[in-house]
Formats: sequence, C-alpha cells, structure tokens
Amino acid sequence: GNSHANVNKNTATHLPKSARLSIVKEIGGKVIAAKDASPVIGAAVFIKENPRVGTTTDAEGNFKLNLPENFATKNITLVITSVGFEKFEVAVAADQSSITVSLKENVQQLNEVVVTALGVKKDKRALAYSVSEINGSDFTQARENNVANGLTGKIAGVNATGLSTGPGGSSRVVIRGNGSLTGNSQPLYVINGMPIDNSVPGGSSLPNGLGTKAGTDRGDGISAINPDDIESMTVLKGGAAAALYGSRGANGVILITTKKGKAQKGIGLEYNSTFTMENVSVFPDFQYEYGQGDGGVMPTTLAQAQATGRRSFGAKIDGSTNYMAADGKNHPYLAQKDNLKNFYQTGTTFTNSVALSGGNDAILYRLSLADLSAKSVLPSNTYNRKTASLNISAKLSERLRAEAVVQYNLEQGNNRPIAGDALGNPNWMAYEVANTVDVRWLNPGHDANGNEIFWNDAGIVTNGYFFVNKFKQTDTKDRFIGQASVSYDLLKNLTLKATTTRDFYNYNFTSIMPTGGQYIPQGQYDGIKSDVSETNSMITAAYNTKFAETIGLSVLGGANTRQFKNNQFDFYGQGYTIPYFYSYSNLATSTATPVTSNIKTNSVFGSADLDYKGIWFLTLTGRQDWFSTLSPKNNNVFYPSIGTSLMLSDVINMPRVIDNLKLRGSWAQVGGGGPDPYAINLAYSNVPSASGVPLQNVSSASITNAGLKPFTSTTLELGLSTRLFGGRLSFDAAVYDKKSSNDIVSVPISGASGYTSAILNSGELSNKGIELLLEGTPIKSADFSWNTSFNFAYNKSEVLKLADGINTFSIGNSANGNAFINNQVGMPFGGIYGYRMKRDAAGNIIYDTNSNLPLQTDNNQYLGNGVSPYTMGLNNTFKYKNFSLDMLVDGKFGGSIFSVMEVYATRLGLMKSTLPGRENGLALKGVTANGDAYSYTVPVANLRSAYYNNLNRYTELFVHDASFVKLRQVIISYRLPAGFLKSLGVQSASVSLVGRNLLILYKKTDNFDPEQGLTNGAAQGIESIGLPRTRSYGLNLNLKF
Amino acid sequence: CSMTLFTACDKDFAEINTNPNAVSVPTTAYIFSKALYDGAANSGNKGSLLFGLMQYTTSYNDVEGFGSKYTASQVNATGGVFTNSYPNQINEIGEVIKAVKDDPTKVNLYATARIWRVYCFSRLTDLYGDIPYTDAGQGYNLSIFQPKYDSQSAIYADMLKELEASATALTTANTTTFGNSDLIYQGNVTQWKKFAYSLMLRLGMRLTKVDAAAAQSWVTKAIAGGVIREYADIAKMTYTSGGQNINKNPIAWQLLNDNYLRADGTNNTEGGKYQQVFINSLKANSDPRLSALSVVYVNGSASSDESIQKGMPATINGTKPSDFITYSEPKQTTVLKVDAPLLLFTAAESNFLLAEAALRGWYSAETATNLYETGIRASMKQWDLISGTTGTIAQARIDSYVAAHALKTTGTVATQTEQIYNEVWVGLFPDAQEVYNNYRRTGYPALTPNVYPGNATGGKIFRRFLYPVSEQTLNRTSYNEAVQRQGVDDLLTRVWWDK
Repeated sequence: GNSHANVNKNTATHLPKSARLSIVKEIGGKVIAAKDASPVIGAAVFIKENPRVGTTTDAEGNFKLNLPENFATKNITLVITSVGFEKFEVAVAADQSSITVSLKENVQQLNEVVVTALGVKKDKRALAYSVSEINGSDFTQARENNVANGLTGKIAGVNATGLSTGPGGSSRVVIRGNGSLTGNSQPLYVINGMPIDNSVPGGSSLPNGLGTKAGTDRGDGISAINPDDIESMTVLKGGAAAALYGSRGANGVILITTKKGKAQKGIGLEYNSTFTMENVSVFPDFQYEYGQGDGGVMPTTLAQAQATGRRSFGAKIDGSTNYMAADGKNHPYLAQKDNLKNFYQTGTTFTNSVALSGGNDAILYRLSLADLSAKSVLPSNTYNRKTASLNISAKLSERLRAEAVVQYNLEQGNNRPIAGDALGNPNWMAYEVANTVDVRWLNPGHDANGNEIFWNDAGIVTNGYFFVNKFKQTDTKDRFIGQASVSYDLLKNLTLKATTTRDFYNYNFTSIMPTGGQYIPQGQYDGIKSDVSETNSMITAAYNTKFAETIGLSVLGGANTRQFKNNQFDFYGQGYTIPYFYSYSNLATSTATPVTSNIKTNSVFGSADLDYKGIWFLTLTGRQDWFSTLSPKNNNVFYPSIGTSLMLSDVINMPRVIDNLKLRGSWAQVGGGGPDPYAINLAYSNVPSASGVPLQNVSSASITNAGLKPFTSTTLELGLSTRLFGGRLSFDAAVYDKKSSNDIVSVPISGASGYTSAILNSGELSNKGIELLLEGTPIKSADFSWNTSFNFAYNKSEVLKLADGINTFSIGNSANGNAFINNQVGMPFGGIYGYRMKRDAAGNIIYDTNSNLPLQTDNNQYLGNGVSPYTMGLNNTFKYKNFSLDMLVDGKFGGSIFSVMEVYATRLGLMKSTLPGRENGLALKGVTANGDAYSYTVPVANLRSAYYNNLNRYTELFVHDASFVKLRQVIISYRLPAGFLKSLGVQSASVSLVGRNLLILYKKTDNFDPEQGLTNGAAQGIESIGLPRTRSYGLNLNLKF
Repeated sequence: CSMTLFTACDKDFAEINTNPNAVSVPTTAYIFSKALYDGAANSGNKGSLLFGLMQYTTSYNDVEGFGSKYTASQVNATGGVFTNSYPNQINEIGEVIKAVKDDPTKVNLYATARIWRVYCFSRLTDLYGDIPYTDAGQGYNLSIFQPKYDSQSAIYADMLKELEASATALTTANTTTFGNSDLIYQGNVTQWKKFAYSLMLRLGMRLTKVDAAAAQSWVTKAIAGGVIREYADIAKMTYTSGGQNINKNPIAWQLLNDNYLRADGTNNTEGGKYQQVFINSLKANSDPRLSALSVVYVNGSASSDESIQKGMPATINGTKPSDFITYSEPKQTTVLKVDAPLLLFTAAESNFLLAEAALRGWYSAETATNLYETGIRASMKQWDLISGTTGTIAQARIDSYVAAHALKTTGTVATQTEQIYNEVWVGLFPDAQEVYNNYRRTGYPALTPNVYPGNATGGKIFRRFLYPVSEQTLNRTSYNEAVQRQGVDDLLTRVWWDK
C-alpha cells in the first residue's frame, strides 16, 4: 500500500504559559509498517526545515517531537526514515499535533543493508567505499560448478574467468587489477566472516605445464562451495572496504554469507535440480585444401603416415584412394572437418540439492545436502562433488547466542585433462591431427598389449585416445569447514563475540602415466598427499551508542590469530618394474619429498563508525598484524583506513527526480607479509641418493632475505551514487588509485647468480581505474517489468619498479619458450613479450642468408597486454506474469592472447596462412643484414621443414586481440501458479531453461575462444591447447515445500 | 596473542618459520658430492646435441636430430647447459669453498674443490665463450643478481692459475679429505694432483691457436707436475644402477631415457640411432670398439656382429625409414650401462695430448709415435671400466688395430695431427664435448657438415652454444657487454681460443 498519513486536527491544546517558553509545541504520533500495521521501531523523525530537530520511535512505534518556538506556528514538513522503508515526507500544518504514518517497505532498501568486513552488517548509506552484492539465487539457476566463475560480468571491477580445464577446474578472480608482481593477486574468500583456503593443492598449473603434475589444474578452494548454500555474496573491492582484514584484504575480499534457518511452523524443504549438457563451442578455421603429408606429397605407406600424422603439407585434397593414414589403412584422401566434434563428447552435469530448514524463537537450523555429477566433454574425465552443510543458531538466553556452521565437502576428480605442453595432453591430437585424418581412426590409441599406437613423429605428443583409455588420474579432497561462535550482550549495546573456524582438507592425488607410452615407455607416477588447514580464532567486542539523539557511534575491537599449515608429500617415480602394475611400490626410481608450510599471523584491530543523523558518516579502522614469515626485526605493521560518506540529497535540496545522492571517499593502507614461509634464512636440504653417499644442497633456488618486511597497498577511492525517479534508475561510479609498495617479489634473476630468483621487498605496482554501474527499471507494471543493469570498469595497471637494476622479468612462458609473460617497468602488469621479425626502416623483412629465415629481434618486444583492462556486463531481466527472462551479456576488451595452438597449426600446415607456396614454392623477398635486396624461393619439398616449421621463432605472428562480447547467460523461468501448487502442498515451484556461454557475439580470434586460459596463476594471456571451452544448456527445477 | 600483550604477539614465530625439512648448518662433504654429480652431468654431453654434432648419433626427427641437422627451430636448446650449471654445480662448489677456504686444517678439501670448480667452469666456457665467472654464483653471498661476463681469456688465465695453486696446495701431510664423499678418488690426494695437472694439460693445449707460447708454457708445467698416464689414475665418477637418477651415469641415462628404454631397435622414443659417418668409420678401420659400443636388433635381440652394423644417414627428413630397425644403436651393456663410471679424464686423452706436444716439440721425453700408440691402447683398455668386465676388447685385436694405424711419422705435422684427433674422436667417446673442443681447435676429425633444409647455420658445424634467452632479459647489460666483446650471440661466432 501507499504511504499515507492520517492527520488528526487537535483543537484543544492548551499548555501553561511557562511551558510554552521551552516546549512550544509537541507533535505526537505513531509510525507503522504499511504491510501489516506493525510498529516501526527506531524510525528517525525530524523536520525537514532543520534536521537537528528530531527524535526516534520507541518500541511501540510512538514518538513525541518537541518543536522549538520558531517552528511552532509554522507549517512544517516532517521526514520519517527507517532502514528497510522508503523515506517519507509529510506536511504538518501549524495547528496539527498528532499524526500516524505508515511506511512503505522498500525491497531495494532492504537489500541495501550489506554485509561488510568481519560480517558486520551496514546500511549502504553509511558505506564509504563501493561494495557489490549478489544474491545467492544468481548462482543456482544457470550454474557454474565453480561459483567464482559465476561472478563473470556481474560486478564492475571484478575480472573473473573460469579455466578451460574441465569440471572441477579453478577460477581466476582479480579485483581492480593484479596487486602483486609475483605473489597472489586473487581475493580472500570469507564465509560467514571467517576466511577459507583457496589454494590449489600442489600449486596452480603452469602455462607451459609439462606432464601430469605441472599440467593438471587440480581445482581451487572456492570450487567446493555449494551455490545452494549461498544467501548472498558481497565483494569488497579492496582498500577501505577490506582494511579490517589487514594483510589479507589487499586484493579485495569476497564475503559469502550462507543460508540460515528461519523461524516457521513445520519444516521448510527446498529442492533444486539442474541438468545441463555442454558442447565444444569454437571450432578452428583450418585449411582443407591440402591434406596430410609433407613436401606436397600424400602418405602412401605406414611410415610416411606416421611421420606426417600431424602434418598437412601434403598433396591437394582430391579423394585419392591410395592414401594411407597412421592406422595403416587406406582411406579416401578427403577433408575431415569434424575432429573436435568426433573426439569430444557431449558433457553433462547433474546437480541435485535439498535443504531442510526451520526453527523457533530459540533455535534455527538449516541442513543441506547436494550432489554434483559431471561428465566432461573429454571422455573419461569426470568430477563429483558432494556437500553437506549444517547451520544451527541458537538464542540461549536474552543475552547469549551461539551459532555453528559445519560443512563437509567431498570432491572426486578423474582424468582431469593435462594442459600446457604436449606430454599426456589429450587435446593436442584433436587439434593437431592432419586434416585428412578422422581422429577416430586412431581410437583406441593402444595395441592389444596396451602400448600406445604411434601416430605422429613426436612421441611426446600423446595419442588422445591413449590418454582417455589408459592414463589414470584420480583425486579426492575431503574437506571440512567448521565454525562456531558465541556472542554475549554484556550490556544492551555492548556485545562480545568469540569465533573459531577451521578449514581443513585432506587431499590425495595420483596420476599414472601408464606403461607402454611412446615417450615414457616404462611409465611415470606423480602423487600428492596433503593436509592443509587454515585456522582462525577471533574475539570481538562491539559497542554502539547515540549522543544527543543525533550522533551514532559504533565501535568494534578485536583480535585474531591465524594459522595456516600444509603438510604435504610429493611422490614421484619412473618405471613400473612389473609393467601395467601401477603402485608406488612398483617403481624403479621413486622419491617422496616432504613439503611443509607453517604460517602464523596475529592481529589486533578496531574500528569506529560515526553517524550524524544518517546523513554524514565517518569510518575509521586500524589493524596491526604480526607475521611469522617476516624478519623478526620488521615483522609487524599497522594499517589505517579512513572513509566518509555524505547523503548530499539530505543536505541540499535536489530536483524532484533525484531520490538521493551520496558522495563517498576513502583512503586505506593495507599490506601483508611474505606469502611463503622460510624465506628469511639460507638453509640446506638433503637430496635423495641411492649411492650410499649423502647429498645436500641449498634448499631453495630462491635467495632468502633476512630483512624481509611487510609490503603495503594504498588505495584512494572516491565515489558517487544516486537513485532517481523513485528508484527506477540508479547510478554508481567509483574511481580509485591503488599503489602497492615494497611488494614482496620473488624476482627472477640471472641463473648465473647461482639462484633463479631472489625474494625482495622492492616491487611497486600501480592500478588506477574507474567503475560504473547503471541500474534501471524502464518498465514496471503489474504484469510486466524490465530490469536492466550495466556495469563497466577500466583498470590501468603499471609496473613502477621491480628491483634495483632489474627492469624486466618473466613470470611465465609458453611451452617451448615462444612467448613470455613479463613484468616490465613502465608497462602494464603481465604483458605478452617475445620476438618479432627484424625489419629495416622501410619495413622490409631482413633475412638471414644462412638459414633463409627472417632474423629475429630480441625477445623483449611488447606484443600485448595479457590482462584485459576493460570489462563490462549487461544484464536484462524481463518478467511477464509468471515468466521471466534473464540475459547476461559480458565483454572484455584491450587484452591479448598468444596461441600455442596456432604455433603448432602453423608448423604443421593446418592454418590457412600456410597455404602460400603449396604449388610452386614460396617466394621470399626482403633485404639482407647488409641492406642488399634478398629473394629466395622455398621449394615445395621443403616448405614445412625450411620455412613454416620455423615460424615459431616469431612470437608476434601468434598474438591476437583477445577482446570479446559473449552472451554469457540466459535463463527463462516459469513460476507455477500458486493455486495449483497449494493443492500439492508446494509453496512455490519454478522451472527454468538455462544456458551458459551460449554465443560469442564478438571476437578477433578465428580459431579459439579468447578466454581459453589454462592456469589461475599470474601469467595470463597464453592459450596452450587446453580443453576447448564449451557452451552449456539445460533445465533447472526449484521446489519449495 | 592478545591486545594487552603486544610483545608476545610473535614469540613462537622463530620456531614456526623454521623449515622442518632443512638444516641451517651445511654438511660440506654432502654438498661436495652433489657438486660432483651435477658437474659431471651438466655438460655439453647432456642430450643428443654434441653427439649429433660430432656425428656419433642422429635421428630422423628434427627435434632430436638438432645436433646433426642444426635445425633452426631448436637452436635455443643450446642454452640449457648454462641454465642448469649455475644454480647447481657452480652454486654448490661455491658453498663448499666458502665453508673450507679459511680453515688451514682443510687444505686438501679446499684444493680439491677448486680443481672441481675449474673442471665445471671449463666445461661451460668452452661451450659459450665469455661467461659469468668472477661474479658467478654470488647471488646470496654478495647479492650479485646480474653477474658480469668475464672474457674467456681471463677465465682461462684464472683457471690455469687455480689449477697450479691447488695442485701445489694438495698435501699428503694432511689427512683430512672428503673420503667416500669424493666420488672420483675417494680422497686420494696424489690422484687429485694428477687430475689437476691433467686438466692443466687439457686447458693449456686449448690455447695453441690463440696463444701458442702460453700453451707451451702451461703444457710444460703440467707435464712436469705429472699427469694421468695409468689406468688406475683415470678420473672417473662412480655410479649405481638402481635408486635415484642422480646416481646413474648421466650420459648413459640420458641416451637410454631419450631413445633406448625399449631396447628393441624400432620403438626408439625420439628416433635416435648411430650416425652413418661414425659407424662407417669404425667399420672401415676394422675398429674392435665397434662391437663394444654398437648393436643391431635382429629378431628381437641385440647383435654386435660387426658385419651388420650400419649407421643412419643424418639427412632423413622427418619420416621414420622403413629399414629403421636395421641401423646400429648404442649397446645396452656398455654405452647405455647406467652404473658404468663416467670417465672425466682418461690416460688415453693425456697420451694423445702429449703426442701432439711431442709433435710440436714441446715434449721430448717420449716420441709422438709411442704416445699415440699408448693412447690408442689406453682408449681400448678403458672399455673394461665401462663394461665392468676385463678384456672387453681382445688384446689381439688391439695389437692388430695399432699395427694398422701407425702414426705416419714421415707425413706432415698436419697429417699426424689428423691421425691423433681421428683417434681422439673414437678414443674419447662418449665425451663428445672434449672431442668437440679438439675439433674446433685442430679441425679434426675433418667432419663433413650435414646440409639439411631449415638449418640455422647455412650447413656449417656450429662453433658455440647460444646463451639462454633469459639472459637477454634478466642480465641484459652484462649480456650486451659480452656480445659486444665476443661477437653476435649466434652459433657461428667463435670463442676466444677458436679464433
């Protein structure tokens, strides 16, 4: 209902004369909720003409406002505000003395109470920094297995990408640019106020990952979280928002609040089921004019077919019948364009979750169980996740409350694809097989004895079917996240709270490269067993009060101790003594290496929030951290932050269209300790030796630093938000300037120093950016509504300093070192570098007369930004009666990507760019190093070996603009009519058609998806023949009983 | 930790931040052993590069065949030895020297470590020319992260000085040695002295092209000091067959692992075989070593029948030849034997170098003929060490080979030098790097380069390895200085002593 005021004209207010001097007039009244006429407690009531004249409603919703003399005889406007309700203004005539106001609930306002650092709920008005919140339901219809991938495109300034590593893969989320030159740049994930571990067991896979360990993405910590348990997700983008997290807030914080039980009659039951299918979404645009072979010749013998299994430098494709492929059979010499479709299958994901909840005044509970079963597009690659979560909160007395959250996750993966380099990478065959071979001819990839079938010239390029059928990789992660807290109200406005959490997992990874492989014929074993725990204990005291009815003060103080432990064993071995028997006990050579990590951080922190009449807010925070990983002389640091916000619309009169306008600003300094322990002192480790002679060397190839001190990250943020047209349009803008100083950098150094890196406190990195959010409801009627939301962000990163005398270093490279991801002073973080062809001033290519190849420049040529600086998302929701349509389009711009797939497709003759010269040889023209004219014709016979095969030397040829616009998500929902459901005992039910990554609306890469990333480490911008990206579509059913 | 006790907020940090899997005080002898293993393994003999270049082996495959084909796409593979050596043996031997150099009771440990450091650096500079030397391995001690490159002439001067100083310092009067941690001589000081003088002979002789006077002076000094002449004095690393790869003969293990694990003559992982040039030469010379080092698989078993040995041409363009199985490959029981010792300096090498010294008139106590003949006999005898059985090569065949290959003392010095270094080619096998060094210095054996499409050198045998590309980025100034001084960083630029 609409807000309205019932005005009672009071005709007989006769006060004694003496009283009239001080209390000239009293207005009494009551504030109630429009919905159910329940009293609104604590609503602010003041007069617009002078906001200092005000009061608040009592427990019954009643108020009494005393007007001073100068207002007593005038008509005034009364303003009533309360959290969760729309602001209401009403005119009060000079002769009025009593009024009843009913306030309209504001759903948007309700949402604007957001969870902030340490789980503290705040009115969005009071925030001095930008905070974005996503409802849990946004993750449960069109699902990503890894909820972090669901952030893509949704929040300005959050650059989120899922990896192309199959179900159970990791995500990479970076907020407001990479914050550390070599360290972690991903945010801290916090569940219900306490941090969890987001590491990838055994470390992130590498962009040039070779083999079963370095090439496998084992999944990160956030991937285990069941989206159905998420009530809301709040993104604190860093700086002041995350300052209370101190060292760990430097990269921003993602707060996850899990669902709790609700007081109700009986048991609430919710069931959610999603079934989706997925298919490869991008197919390379290869040439199909010339087929398998080399030197213009088609293979007609098995040896030729095997040698050229990956080469498409053969004869013109003409249907010849004497063509022989690597399966030793004759086939018609015809183009085979469907190898990706034929090698990969339709993947499926079936997720079922059920939640029971309920409770009464004293105790609330919610229990959820979920199962996710996924089959990847890669045959034999599966992922299963079971989660159980129990949340109990109890009000033990009027003052004492307790809450416990227990989560148990079990993740099991099978044959996660190896990406990066060729060995054991099942994707290389599907992408590289010669263009007249139907990849299925190479199935099952092994002979009757289990030995890999030779299909190409390089044994290191594993037969994909041999991977599918014979490689055995399994992993199991048993994870337990427990939280318990007790809070006690010492006074009405002073609450003490103690919380302890432990995120613990036990991880077991075994990867078997089987006996009989071409490259490692006796097989290889990789294993990881680890116990990882993150334990936090925190105590806080929170106090709030109000001075002179106008100034609110909240104070929070606390202490936290965090301990991270990893007890890991890496198992490695070669050569199964008894062939095909895959036990660690059966290895000819084996090593078990202990890897231990133990880190402790102690902290004390405090914050103070001042609130002047809900118009002006000031927040101060401070935190002191002590780090075990730093030099004892410099192991602690204090982080301050200050923030303020002003409801400008409450101070000056705004045009009618402006509901409110807020300005905000904040400054914060956060920072951190060394990410890794044991970086202070030189140490020596024993090396496994079987000769009876013990061996020892320095423990680390990284030079330790006895003076290691904390790094800092300073952020200045200014912002503005406004709501217009009665909430139909809102706009939020933020600009920030973030600078990391004394970054603890593992600086790669010349190996000739005896070490490969040095741990230095030297890095400086700047990220500056702008974020915009525009939300609106262009159409809103009883039956039809249209909501739209657009976000845009730009982040400019610049490396300011690496280390004294060091101007550039590499943080990763592609397989074979054809491209490098470097940090270079004056350039953006993580640029793509490599070689160009040498050219003279006129642009002519300079040829080496010895090799008849273009000369290479040095390898420090900047070829593109590995990280997209521009990100945007556009979400539209249409609702018509019981139907709704939700569409998310997102895009990234300005980044580049280097393609290893194209390097090989060029060397192997699959690219259309390798067509020149097929008939009459390739005429090269240019100049020599002396400047003389140069020309040479590469004969057809040597076209591959003398020319195209060597083009991997010129990185620039394979770097592309990675910009894209994608139709990321479509959800079409139908909510079943309530009347029909009631008879079935169902409260609500909806059915949705869902789709993810459905279309690429714009891209500049012809042959692959520009998001084809394979590692969640710092080195982005390399495609290296990982699992192809997919589009998924399916059905979602949601029932509430 | 609580708010009231700030001082106690870090009281257990020292313990927490101590790696439970490491010690803070090194055991020097253990590091010395590691330096020996790493120094012996990380040389130009790692991988098939120099084996191909010196035309011992090849592959039909471009990647593995790089050494024999100079394939342009693979040139950066030459940076690997540099990359691997410094953080391993150079760092380790530096740690050893740091720990012992100021302790007068450890005089023999210090001298031994210095000799090994010279061995390691000599292997590096011979491949690359100018390299980081004075500044090298000082990342931790002196925070030198971008070490300067020393000129090769300065490195040679210092290495020779180091050898002289160490040989002089070694004393039997002090009984503190590395003992069993010394995998070469088990602490035998007298033998280390011979090794030092032998290295002096090797490095001194290296200077013949660039500074003959200096060469003569060092060679004379080395001979006076006493070089390895006896089978018992051969400097060799000992290995075991089981356990960790580091304990295995690095040349044998690498060859085996790259190609010959299946031992069936056909499923060679990287398509490797002996090269035609090498096998043809052994056959033409009726060299009894042919059957000691080579086999052909016939009906699934290895045959050393000399008449069927056949090397593979290096010109095969990518396709596995249909007669692949009929080509010779390294023998599992000798060249591929992972518990065979690795010969670092042999009596054969001394004799051949002395034969050249005699030819040059720098040594007159023995004749070139005798030295050359002793060299051949020693090089055949050493297969006993490699195979682990005595009499691997029959005495009668040694005698007849020697008789058939007498030094042509009536010929020119060049002719005789060629004879000596043709013998070095076979006699030092599988130390391809030392053969390569002598090839560059003397021009022998007179190998005919393979001209292969897409080669990086215009069909020339290359003269050095490329610096690792990371040096262009991480050590740019020093790298540029070295390139300025030495010449372009390409495969055909000659190192100082090869000018």
